[in-house]
Amino acid sequence: MTVSADDSLHDSGRPAPTARLFAALRLLRATAAGRIVGLALLVAVLALLSVYPLSMLLYGSLHSTPPGMAGTFNLDGYRDILTRENSITLVNTVGISLAKTVPSLALAVLLAWILARTDTPCRGALEVLVTLPFFIPPILTAMAWGMLGNPQVGLLNQLYQAITGSSAAPINVYSYGGVVWHMMQYSVPFLFLLIVDAFRAMDPSLEEAARMCGASRLRTFRTITLQLMLPALTGGAILSFIRGIENFESPLFFGAPAGIHVITTDIYDSINQRSPPQYQYATAVSFVIMALLFLIVLVQWRLLRGRSFATVSGKGYSPGIVRLGPWRWVTFAVCMLFFIVTVVLPVGQLLIGSFFKFFGFYQWDMLTFEHYEAVFGSSEFWRGFGNTMLLGLIGASATMVLGGLVAYISVRTKWRGRSLIDAMAWLPWMMPGIVLGVGFLWGFALLPRAIPIYGTIWALLLAYISLGTPLSVRVMSSAYAQLSFDIEECSRVHGASWLTTMWRIVIALSWPSFVVGWVLVFFGIMRELSASVLLYSIGSEVLSVVLLKLWVNGNAEQVSVIGLMMMVMVILFRWVQLGFTRRHLGTL
Amino acid sequence: MSNVVLEKVSRTFGEFAAVSGVDLRVNEGEFVTLLGPSGCGKTTTLRMVAGLEQNTGGRISIGGRVVSDAARDLFVPAEHRALGMVFQSYAIWPHMSVFDNVAYPLRVRRVGRSDMRRRVLEALQLVEMADYADRPAPALSGGQQQRVAIARALVFEPALLLLDEPLSNLDARLRAQMGSEFRALQKRLGITSLYVTHDQEEAMALSDRVVVMQAGRVLQIGAPEDIYQRPASRDVANFFGSPNLLPATVVSCARLSDADFALSVRGSAWEGTCHAGEARAVGAEVLVLVRPESMRLAEGTAPATGALSGRVVQSSFHGARRAVTVEVHGSLMHAEVPATASLSEQVTFTIDEKAAWALSA
Repeated sequence: MTVSADDSLHDSGRPAPTARLFAALRLLRATAAGRIVGLALLVAVLALLSVYPLSMLLYGSLHSTPPGMAGTFNLDGYRDILTRENSITLVNTVGISLAKTVPSLALAVLLAWILARTDTPCRGALEVLVTLPFFIPPILTAMAWGMLGNPQVGLLNQLYQAITGSSAAPINVYSYGGVVWHMMQYSVPFLFLLIVDAFRAMDPSLEEAARMCGASRLRTFRTITLQLMLPALTGGAILSFIRGIENFESPLFFGAPAGIHVITTDIYDSINQRSPPQYQYATAVSFVIMALLFLIVLVQWRLLRGRSFATVSGKGYSPGIVRLGPWRWVTFAVCMLFFIVTVVLPVGQLLIGSFFKFFGFYQWDMLTFEHYEAVFGSSEFWRGFGNTMLLGLIGASATMVLGGLVAYISVRTKWRGRSLIDAMAWLPWMMPGIVLGVGFLWGFALLPRAIPIYGTIWALLLAYISLGTPLSVRVMSSAYAQLSFDIEECSRVHGASWLTTMWRIVIALSWPSFVVGWVLVFFGIMRELSASVLLYSIGSEVLSVVLLKLWVNGNAEQVSVIGLMMMVMVILFRWVQLGFTRRHLGTL
Repeated sequence: MSNVVLEKVSRTFGEFAAVSGVDLRVNEGEFVTLLGPSGCGKTTTLRMVAGLEQNTGGRISIGGRVVSDAARDLFVPAEHRALGMVFQSYAIWPHMSVFDNVAYPLRVRRVGRSDMRRRVLEALQLVEMADYADRPAPALSGGQQQRVAIARALVFEPALLLLDEPLSNLDARLRAQMGSEFRALQKRLGITSLYVTHDQEEAMALSDRVVVMQAGRVLQIGAPEDIYQRPASRDVANFFGSPNLLPATVVSCARLSDADFALSVRGSAWEGTCHAGEARAVGAEVLVLVRPESMRLAEGTAPATGALSGRVVQSSFHGARRAVTVEVHGSLMHAEVPATASLSEQVTFTIDEKAAWALSA
């Protein structure tokens, strides 16, 4: 990790407000009472963000009427869960997630092996391209695939018909296959990012030893490489499975039109599509999905306990690179094909869709700019854009500051109560966006009227911070864990106060991770749909909600325009992030 | 049978020549060590013998069979060379038990179950690890992993054993113990061994012959005593300890045998006699190598001819001996004296002329 000196060493003439802040912090730090006040404040903030919505969920699931209305307490919500349709929903949820995890894992292992362990050309660039789909908001690719794979007018079916001359439409994304296919576009790069370092960091002599024992390359891969990777693969697969259960966009876009329901869409429907909204039922179902996730986390914990192998030796070897000869162009093609299918096709569809008068009718005389004019002239678009940007900037900054504080306390201090803080910050991880949305919905409705937060963008902000905190804590924890205690202690020994040490050493060395985490949280906010769609109201729409509304109204052309704008932003941000990471952290 | 022959073996990575033109013959049952600083090409040479790295020039044969010939584009990959190898990191597979680790080469060779069990236990007995057969590999200490790695390399009775800095990850005491244990085992089994290390003491203590390498080239091949006392060049001399090199001019030269000549030399600070490996012309400039332990503290203060006087600059205690740095006529010399010797500020040394050795200047 390199940090330029001028960033950490501008000491002389520190501005006055900072000095005052330092003085206040010093007071907090100086006394045991001050520390307790600070900790209590942090606990209160975390409680508001995680414990409050969770307890409101419990309250809501037992309460017979919608939030804010007088009602009685009963177990009707839970009783309503026990129906035949719901058992199908549960099987769908688990089945779809399994069906996408297994092939995703196989594909991710193949891609990770190609990019980490072979001499395939342009591996650096390919790695960026192959991981790009992960950063694209799922709502965009969902809409693009809705157009590409539409059984009536989809571009792919039109192409097929033009080539073969038949009138059959072989591709229909509104199906189980469509849901799984759309999820895979995210889980493959997600799994790839999780496992590629395990491939890269493996001590090559573990494999060379097998070859010296007479094992062929294939046998070595099967009996050594893959076996050593097993803990990393299992861990990744379980995480991917959890994300599959939490997934909202894929079943909403491709499942619901075909009558395929999963738990997340069931929650959404019972609030947004039923009249009157079934709040009690939705909350009760939220508990079911959380129980399911909790069960999986328990299984994961049991499976992986003590099963992580330290395969990295001290020696800074590069991993053994397999020379593929002419086959390296085949592996190159595999990676490019993945990129084309997951990025180029959807982006191309958005591009095409944005220039033709009507989606599905691609003739020269249908070319038009009117959708661009309509979008840029629409106040709703600009409001959504402004809200997304504002929430992204404030939300990402607040989340990272909070995560940095929590991580510092849990990693680098021995204070009592630090595990409580850590656990509270981790809690939202167990709550899919839609569930957290329901929890906050209840929470805001039950706040006293003096705090009119419901229906403002600050409601969304709280939900975003809550959703992003587990990630920010993880990023900052690993950054702090890399700093040896010696560095901090050395500064103290040389006479620096705790605050100076924080400022000059800890922050100076961990800010690159802060920036990387910030961008990740920003991405998360930009793509968030499931909580936003429950918590927005007129005036506080974010871009993803604007898109969804346009899509539901059948305005695929304007969706294409906005989607294209967002795609440009994603690629820009990812590019800046990659450049920054390379410069300051040395690795991807 | 298991002669290893390297002929003009080279390995280039793009422009950079990691190994260039190495010639080496390892005889059957011999223990040969490749010695050199890191980056000198010794590990690359070993990996080329193993078949883990392909040589870009020259020819390698093992047991009379050519396994790699750059000119004919012939290359037998590692798995078909049937060599044993011990890695620096031991490369013990953490997902297997000790038994499964050692049994792996036999499984690959489809050895029957009962035969395999017997041979694995025999191999583990050789390294005194039979009691640990059922342990999971991650539960072993560094020294135990080392033993398992050796058992795994020996279990299929390879003709040649390759060892890549096998002791460098152990602490000093265990390193000495494992080294001598391994040498005893190697002698008992009579297995031809090629060993890589950067530790000159380890190389001298274990080997039949040492190959000193630098910058991808072989500087000298010889028995440890030869390399230490009669180095071929200044670079080889510098590789061991902190030698004194005294510039001098040859006064006379007498032939004692084919490779031993007695010289009498005169330098600015010192004159006396020394040995050389080849005839030197009278008047030629040479460097006389004097190891610190060949410096003898002289009794009395009268400077005799062939003695060196100087001021003690630094002195450090090493238990049995004391290392002393002395400034003689403006240059620093290193000496080792008995720890019990009393040192005054001015000291006089004589040189053990039997151990003095002339190098080309």
